[in-house]
Amino acid sequence: MARIRCEGVTKRYGSVLAVSALDLDIADREFMVFLGPSGCGKTTTLNIIAGLEQISDGEIWFDDRRVTLIPPHKREIAMVFQSYALYPQKTVYQNIAFGLRMRGEPAGRIAAKVKAAAEELEISHLLDRRPQQLSGGQRQRVALGRALVRNPAAFLMDEPLSNLDAALRVSMRTLIKKLHRSMGTTFIYVTHDQAEALTLADRITVMRNGVVQQVDTPEGIYNRPLNRFVAGFLGSPQMNFVEGEIREGATGYVFARGEFVLKLSPDIARGQSGRSVIIGLRPEDVDFISNRTEACAGRAMLVSPLGSEQHINVQTGDIELIVRAPKEARIVVGDQLRMTVDPRHVHLFDPATEMAIKSSS
Amino acid sequence: MSERSFLYRWQPLGRGVILALFSLLLVAYVAGPVAWLVSSSLQSEADITAVPPNWIPPKVMWGNFEAIFTAGQRTVTYENRYQGDPTAGRFLPSGAENLLPSVWNSFVVGLWVAVINLLVSITAAYAIAVIHFRGRQTALYSILITRVIPDIALIVPLFLVVRNLGLINTKLSLIITYLAVTLPFTIFILISYFEQIPRDLYRAARADGCSHWQALLHVYLPLSVPALIASLMFAFLTSWNEFIFALILTQNIDAQTLPIVISGFVMDFTTSFSFVNAAGVIAIVPPVVLAFLFEKYIVSGLTAGAVKG
Repeated sequence: MARIRCEGVTKRYGSVLAVSALDLDIADREFMVFLGPSGCGKTTTLNIIAGLEQISDGEIWFDDRRVTLIPPHKREIAMVFQSYALYPQKTVYQNIAFGLRMRGEPAGRIAAKVKAAAEELEISHLLDRRPQQLSGGQRQRVALGRALVRNPAAFLMDEPLSNLDAALRVSMRTLIKKLHRSMGTTFIYVTHDQAEALTLADRITVMRNGVVQQVDTPEGIYNRPLNRFVAGFLGSPQMNFVEGEIREGATGYVFARGEFVLKLSPDIARGQSGRSVIIGLRPEDVDFISNRTEACAGRAMLVSPLGSEQHINVQTGDIELIVRAPKEARIVVGDQLRMTVDPRHVHLFDPATEMAIKSSS
Repeated sequence: MSERSFLYRWQPLGRGVILALFSLLLVAYVAGPVAWLVSSSLQSEADITAVPPNWIPPKVMWGNFEAIFTAGQRTVTYENRYQGDPTAGRFLPSGAENLLPSVWNSFVVGLWVAVINLLVSITAAYAIAVIHFRGRQTALYSILITRVIPDIALIVPLFLVVRNLGLINTKLSLIITYLAVTLPFTIFILISYFEQIPRDLYRAARADGCSHWQALLHVYLPLSVPALIASLMFAFLTSWNEFIFALILTQNIDAQTLPIVISGFVMDFTTSFSFVNAAGVIAIVPPVVLAFLFEKYIVSGLTAGAVKG
């Protein structure tokens, strides 16, 4: 249990800046997810919080304790890794008990704690085996057990589910979420998988090139991205981006690029006529079975049915949009479609800074 | 039988024959001299020098070994020295009584070198491979570069240093010298081995509450047994076999090692090949025993299952 704060944390490897002036305040018992593409500095940040990397600048606090110079074994953290990192020469029992042994707990208490953790994770029957004899899912359960017997100040996870197959990943996700509930400990979870981030997190920190892009709730990150990178990184299929300009027409403000015209919310567009912008459209925000007058025309170029829904590539003017359609929609390649978007769902970005343009109200 | 099935049937056999042939050649090349050493140590001088040579002793003679083990009790005087006929067996070259003490010297020096070498190289390799401290590359290269200089070039300066320290003709001088020779190699072996151990195991150990010492003891060492044994053997055998430094730095049986004493048996007028070969057999026993003892540990694959896969 700890509130974890990073103040201006910077990490340089020679001339490479891995993490740049990171400010972060993770609340006690919060589930914080670091999300970003590989090489964005999220694992480095996790290592820094764990004390496994020395920082070049800044301070780290666990509650009121400054831990910047405290070595990892004195920080009371537990870690789970993508590679599981089980000690191959030890049995499952010894793996789970190791952290407690290092703290000099009496053997009786260790046995009781290991037993309880093994039962919670349903690995009681594996305690005498060695890691080589376990499947990937079982290994990851052992790794979780090793961390949760410890009652640490913070639980740090480095892509723990990335090596598991899709079905197992979903069930382990649920398990981790339950563990967070029952343990009441601060969790910091690194992933590049947006689905994991959105389902698990209380808050998400999106990183890129060592710089924090946005810290917000999953809902906030998804619906109110601060810049084009965040907008594009979350969502599958990706948000559509179209460059064009704002115009003031007879019916109000519109975004226009050739024949492609979209109505904009006057809150954002007021007084910006003539400004060139990038708009972002989530595939699910395009409603294209409509005969309203402001709808724009397009042609279905590709239909990808996914079972629960369909993804349609639509050509309109010189651009191609990916649009989500319900599974029952009967669309075939070549169909002429009419599309419309609720102006509230149109995201606007500045082409130069790529930052979101906020409504002035 | 079609041409194809003929090939299927005989091709593997042909390959087997070629493999066996070259394996035999290799074994003969490597083991031949050793076999001759052992065989000739059990032969009389006349049998050794016979043409064609006797690979199997026509008459097994234990006299050379008997002479070695009783050398201490026999006094070699000016008179009986010349009575001893090299061809008769039980011949004692002068200094034969030094043979067993020199085995002890070699053993003591080798053991100290192996143990100290292991302690130093484990900690040095852990620091360089695992702790990302500033200057670790420089540290590694400056250790390795010392081995670029040929030993022979170091002999005179080394002799002067050892003499000024007052360590000439001591085992300590040999231990120090052999450590300097073996450490760069064993540090290098262990660094490569430690670097193969997944870094996540280190991170896991530190998160589990291990200090650097504990991570080394509980995680790195148990996973590095093959490399540790290899280093131990390398250090011991290098020390056991070393000749040129021992020749320069020691003067008498207080510190002289086995290779020096054995080389002393080759004399100007009478050299008993059977005695020298018997001494040679004594010299190769400890390495062979070591190799057999540790053979099963020098198998890799201990890290299987540590990480995914």
